[in-house]
Amino acid sequence: MSGTVGLVLVSHSPDLAAGLRELLRQVAGDAVAVTVAGGDDDGGLGTSYELIRDAIAEAGSGAGVIVLPDLGSSVLTAKALLEDHPNPQVRLVDAPFVEGAVAAAVIAATGADLDTVADAAEEAWHARKL
Amino acid sequence: MPESSELTVVLPAHLHARPAGQIVVTAARFTSTVEIVYGAKVANARGVLALLALGATAGETVTVRATGDDAPAAAEAVATALRTTS
Repeated sequence: MSGTVGLVLVSHSPDLAAGLRELLRQVAGDAVAVTVAGGDDDGGLGTSYELIRDAIAEAGSGAGVIVLPDLGSSVLTAKALLEDHPNPQVRLVDAPFVEGAVAAAVIAATGADLDTVADAAEEAWHARKL
Repeated sequence: MPESSELTVVLPAHLHARPAGQIVVTAARFTSTVEIVYGAKVANARGVLALLALGATAGETVTVRATGDDAPAAAEAVATALRTTS
C-alpha cells in the first residue's frame, strides 16, 4: 500500500488555493494529501515555479500526484516545471479547478490509482450543475 | 451470479458536497455498481459531481440500486450513509 494519490492546487491566489483545499478536506476527508502553490514568491497574485515545485514534493507519495492549475500562467508555469522535471508519477491535468479538484480528491480518497484520479478530474468538464 | 438490490431512502438532509463524498467512498468498498436514482435522474455512486447534480433535497426519496456480487451489502451500506446524512 503506497497511500493515496496526492493533489497539488496551483492558483494565482493564495486564498483561492487555500479555500479550495479547505473544501476538499470537508468533502474528501483527511486521507488525501492536498498541497497548495498559491500566488507569487512574495505572496501576491501570480504564480511561482518554486512554490509549485515545493508543493509537488510535499504532496508526493508512492501513489503519484496530480497537479491542478487554475488558469493562464498557473498552467504555463506548471507545464514548464514538469517539462523541466519529467516524472511519470506527476501528472498535470486539464480540468475545471473546483469541480476537477473535488472529483479527483473524492476518488483519491477511495484509494484509486493515478490514471483513475486524473480521469475523474478531466471528466469534470462534462458534469452539469443543473 | 450477479445480484441486484434496491432500497429507498428518504433523505434527512440535502445531498450536498460532504455526504456525496461519503457516498463515493462507501460505494468504493464494494465491487457492485451502485446507482442513486432520483426521479428521472440516475447517478453512479462513483461520481461525486453526478451525485451533486441530482439536486436531491431533504425530505425527498431516492432509490439506491446495486448490481453485482455484493449488491445487498453495497445497497445497505450506501443507504445507511444516505440516511445518516447531515
